[in-house]
Amino acid sequence: MSRPRALVLLSLLLAPGSLEAAEPIRLGGLRLVLGGEMSGSAAETDRGFFNDSGYERNPLRLFRLSLTAEVRAGDHVAALTEVRSENLNTPRAYALYLRVRPWADEELDIQAGLIPPVFGSYGRRRYGADNPLIGEPLAYQYLTTLRADAFPASEDELLYWRGRGWLVDYPIGATAPAPGLPLVSSVEWDAGVQVRWAGERFEAAAALTQGTLSRPRVEDDNEGKQFSTRVAVRPLVGLVVGASAATGDYVADQAVDALAPPVEGRQRALGLDVEYSAGYALVRAEAVWSRWDAPTLRDDLEADGYMVEARYKLLPGFYVAARFDHVGFGDIAGSQGRAAWDAPTTRFEGGIGFSLRRNLLLKASWQRNERADGFRRQDFVAGQVLWWY
Amino acid sequence: MVVLRGAGALLLALLVSAPSARAALGSIRGRVQVVREPSAAAPRPSVAALGAPRAPDAQDRRRSVVYLEVAPQRAFEDDNPARASLDQRNESFVPYVLAVRAGTTVDFPNSDRTYHNVFSLSKAKRFDLGRYGRGRSKSVRFDQPGVVRVFCDIHSHMSAFVLVFAHRYFATTDPEGRYRIDGVPPGTYTVVAWNDGQERETRSVRVGDGEAVELDFSVR
Repeated sequence: MSRPRALVLLSLLLAPGSLEAAEPIRLGGLRLVLGGEMSGSAAETDRGFFNDSGYERNPLRLFRLSLTAEVRAGDHVAALTEVRSENLNTPRAYALYLRVRPWADEELDIQAGLIPPVFGSYGRRRYGADNPLIGEPLAYQYLTTLRADAFPASEDELLYWRGRGWLVDYPIGATAPAPGLPLVSSVEWDAGVQVRWAGERFEAAAALTQGTLSRPRVEDDNEGKQFSTRVAVRPLVGLVVGASAATGDYVADQAVDALAPPVEGRQRALGLDVEYSAGYALVRAEAVWSRWDAPTLRDDLEADGYMVEARYKLLPGFYVAARFDHVGFGDIAGSQGRAAWDAPTTRFEGGIGFSLRRNLLLKASWQRNERADGFRRQDFVAGQVLWWY
Repeated sequence: MVVLRGAGALLLALLVSAPSARAALGSIRGRVQVVREPSAAAPRPSVAALGAPRAPDAQDRRRSVVYLEVAPQRAFEDDNPARASLDQRNESFVPYVLAVRAGTTVDFPNSDRTYHNVFSLSKAKRFDLGRYGRGRSKSVRFDQPGVVRVFCDIHSHMSAFVLVFAHRYFATTDPEGRYRIDGVPPGTYTVVAWNDGQERETRSVRVGDGEAVELDFSVR
């Protein structure tokens, strides 16, 4: 933890903050563009850990500072980064990569480093202004009871932890309790290489990365790689339909080594996303299906998450929004019969947003969470202030 | 910016300085030289994008608006409704600054292949045109004098100014910085040169009967 470093980041964020649009800074032959975002959200204590997306990380109760920078060297090469501090913790680079465009008039880009996710849609619009509400979709946030570094000894042990993915303790592999994995992590980005080509109505991207959707990694800890891809079409202006797929090794060596014989485990996922907008309305829908190998269990573990969200502007600077969201789990056979391996959870969030200025947004929302097991239900009223440039 | 802030001061001004109806009209003309390097907004760093975004067209931010701070009586004689256009082209508003009289309807055509969403939260005119595609246009009537900052809700680097005047004594500079305000009754006036969001320089000038006055500005 380094609060002074976070405060330095805050100072850097505020320095050019009077700008309403980023103005490039010339540094010799380089061109630097800065952007920043500061947001603070508040809500009552999440006793059921419905919104936790990591250890003590809850988007309803989060103060976030983010500084982004792009350094361009001519028309073909740029370096991009995002340094972020959450709750004044030590600032970290969440994005740091090189972008190369070999041909200036062809929309073909190669990105290498700590790169944005190819899979799905929400992972690339996690910034406050792109999220009409305060909470995050369950598929990108909800912590399941599956871990990458520790495994249950039996189906019954996994079922015992249903609905308590925020802190799970298994006997095989790492012994310390730790949070489980989400279907797709939106908190961190993966390290690797990515290629994207875009035409007028069609876009395709593919990436080779260190981690997996559930567990993006900067450093590889299982000598496996993930391949992910997404294709998207724009049949008409305002409509985007995307399909994604990914497969990669997710089990950490720490857990593999504890297994006898050592077994690798993969995460495989499919995704579908749709966005349509016209006039004052914006509708998005996204579905994610994920399957993980479970080395100590008879069956693979399956999960699906889907959400539909809509935003409608009622007045200049004022909108209403809502999201319906669900995450479900496949059945496994325990000694008491078959049951979903984690507790299915459903969420509804409705809210409003009001722009005091073009880059100063206030949000308020009401959220209901229902879970089939464990801490079953909790409602929240949350507020957020968001400022960006 | 008296003219832009309201008609009350204007009415008072015209009572004080109303010229003779028989006086020949003069003009104020000259050049506005923008000495400083104009700002150039760029898209925010596209960290979350899978590739480089399209580069928007550079806007001509050297264009200035020159206007009389307090208008003479003739300011209110011409009240024909007018129409103007602010295009959205290659992710830029064209022109960057548009000066119109109160009561003017401004069209916002979309010439791009992508959606745009023009809006403003300015006190003088708060509006949101929603998302619409290429070939379509929506309009806004500007009735209240003031400075209206216009943005696109989808492309954060897109911005423009609409300056709404209660009178007709204003001019936008041409690419060489030249301007000309015609039909000015004899009198003493305060002339303002406005550039890129600010009043940059204010000068006083006396216009004689039928006189063409040269008045240059150098704004920083």
